[in-house]
Amino acid sequence: MITFNCTIQEGIIPDDLRPKLASELARISTGILGGNSDDVTVRWIEIPRGFGFRGGHLSTTSAVRGEIPPGCQQETRVRLMQAIQDRWMELTGCTTAELVVSARDRRET
Amino acid sequence: MPYYRCFTPKDALTFEQRQDIARAFTDIHCGNTGAPRSFVSVSFFETPHAEQPDFRSTYYVDGANRAGRSEDVKQQLLADLTRAFGEIADVPSDMIDGRITENPASWTMEGGFVLPEPGQEGPEWYAEVAASAAD
Repeated sequence: MITFNCTIQEGIIPDDLRPKLASELARISTGILGGNSDDVTVRWIEIPRGFGFRGGHLSTTSAVRGEIPPGCQQETRVRLMQAIQDRWMELTGCTTAELVVSARDRRET
Repeated sequence: MPYYRCFTPKDALTFEQRQDIARAFTDIHCGNTGAPRSFVSVSFFETPHAEQPDFRSTYYVDGANRAGRSEDVKQQLLADLTRAFGEIADVPSDMIDGRITENPASWTMEGGFVLPEPGQEGPEWYAEVAASAAD
């Protein structure tokens, strides 16, 4: 199971772009880590305008926080984060300064 | 990273208070750690919220930082953050709780770069971050 929590600022990512972004997250992550895209969950957390800040100013930053199966090699992890960053920027038009991507090991319960 | 999430009751803070808290958190985090200001993110969530961790206080500061700092630095950071929050929000300290969780820096890409471990940020990295922010 791979999970992505995408935290976005209100008004920055159009609603109709989200399905494409979600499908690309599934495609990229299963292409690099293996598995089935049906086992990828993408959740959206929208921060209302005036509730998100970066560097003390209103934020336009999106954060894509992935939880991946534990034990991933760092080289693979970097390849995953880089691919997500590149595709997200391509689809949304954001800059590198407006995007945070992480891929942390899923905590086993 | 760092990412600070503040959980508050609905309509508890004005925009100006949220902005002042975000600025104070940025000052405090950078003052304690030397991190670039542009990396400090602060978001506010009104409870109940699907994203909230389990807590019993009325207000909660939930920080996520790079792993590798000393316990003293982490304790000082949390104490400074909750104190600033209380002062700006005009809330007594016993109504505010918080925590700081950590993940390896190498699990995050920000500004186009994989984050260095705390203390490993060389002048080249700061220059790259500044250039990225200016793009």
